[in-house]
Amino acid sequence: MLPKLKPIAIKERFSLLFLEKGELDVVDGAFVIIDKTGVRSHIPVGGIACLMLEPGTRVSHAAVVLASRVGCLLIWVGEAGVRLYSAGQPGGARADRLLYQAKLALDDDLRRRVVRKMYEMRFNELLPDHYSVEQMRGMEAVRVKKMYQLFAQQYGIEWKGRSYDPEDWDSADVQNKCLSSATSCIYGVAEAAILAAGYSPAVGFIHTGKPRSFVYDIADLFKFETVVPLAFRIASEKHNNYERAVRLACRDAFRETRLLKKIIPTIEEVLSAGGIEIPDAPEESVPPAIPNERSIGDVGHRT
Amino acid sequence: MLVIVLENAPDRLRGRLAVWLLEVRAGVYVGDYSVKVREMIVQNIEEGLEDGNAVVLWSSPNETGFDFLTMGESRRIPKEMDGIKLISFLPDTSE
Repeated sequence: MLPKLKPIAIKERFSLLFLEKGELDVVDGAFVIIDKTGVRSHIPVGGIACLMLEPGTRVSHAAVVLASRVGCLLIWVGEAGVRLYSAGQPGGARADRLLYQAKLALDDDLRRRVVRKMYEMRFNELLPDHYSVEQMRGMEAVRVKKMYQLFAQQYGIEWKGRSYDPEDWDSADVQNKCLSSATSCIYGVAEAAILAAGYSPAVGFIHTGKPRSFVYDIADLFKFETVVPLAFRIASEKHNNYERAVRLACRDAFRETRLLKKIIPTIEEVLSAGGIEIPDAPEESVPPAIPNERSIGDVGHRT
Repeated sequence: MLVIVLENAPDRLRGRLAVWLLEVRAGVYVGDYSVKVREMIVQNIEEGLEDGNAVVLWSSPNETGFDFLTMGESRRIPKEMDGIKLISFLPDTSE
C-alpha cells in the first residue's frame, strides 16, 4: 500500500504553470492533461504552487481531489490571466490564523501597525509615527506613479498611466497588457502562499472589499522588485505573444528573487508588526476527536 | 537534483512519483527537492515497490558529487571501494 498523499512546503515548489486546451484527469494516480489527439502530459502537481487554468480546459473530479490533496491551488483565469473566475481551496484551514488575521484587521490601531509595516517594507525606510493610513497611502500613490514613469523611461517606451478595461482586454496598450499579465502571475503565487500559511485571501489591510484583498496587499510587497520592471522590459521588446513572454520572464524573476522561499516568512513578519500573538484555543473548547496528522506541508495545508 | 529509476514497478507507484517528479523515460524520474521531501518520496517507493527495484540518486557535496540508494532485488548492487560507492554487476543466476 502506498502511503497517504500529503502536501509539501510551498518553498520547495516551482511557482506556476498555465494550462490551456485539454482535459485534466488522473491516470494511475498521476495528474495528466490530455489533449484532443489523446496525447497525455504529466503535470507534477505536487511540486507546483498554483495551476492557472485558461479557457479551453476541463477538469475531472479526480483531478481536483488530487490537486487539493497535494495542496496545489487551482485558479480559473480568463484572457491572459486577468480575471479570476473561481479558485480551488487547498488551505486556509486554520481557525487560529484566521482569528489572528481578523483581530489585526478589525482593531484600528493594530491594522495601522500592519499597514505601516507593509509600507515600510516597500519604501525601505521608517515612516514618521504620526502618519495616518491616508497619508501613507498618498505617499505610496505618488511613488508608484513615479516608478512606473521611471521604468518606462528606462526601457524607452511611452507611458500614459496605468489603465485597463477588464471588460475589454484588447483596448489596453501593450505596456498595460504586459503589466496586467505580470501582476496576475504574482497574484496567483501570493494567493497560494496565503492559503498555505493558513490565512484568508479576502481579509486585507490596505486593500479591502475584494475576495483577494490580502493577496493584493502581499503581492504589492514584491511587485516592484519582480514583475513590474519585467513587464516594462517585455513591452519595450518585439514579441509575437506578449503574454507568453511575460509569463516566462515572471517565472525567472520568481526564481531569481527566491520569492517562494520568502513569501510566507514575509506574511508572518508583516502580521507580527501588530504585536499580538496567534490566539490559543479557549480552555473550554473541545479538541478534535482524531488529532491532526503531522505533515511536511505548510500549516494551512489540509492533510 | 534528484533522479529515480524504477524497474518492474506497479503503475500506481509510477503514477504516484509523477505527482512530484517528471517521468522523462519509462521509469526514469527527475526533480529537485530537499532531504525531507526526498525521504517522503523514498518512503512511497519502499511501500509501493512490490517485486520491482529502484535506485534513487541525488546531488551531494562529496567527491563524486552525488549519492544514491537502491531498493528491491537487482543484479546491480552498490559496493564501497576506498570510500567511493560503486556498482557491482552480479552474474546471471536465473538458469
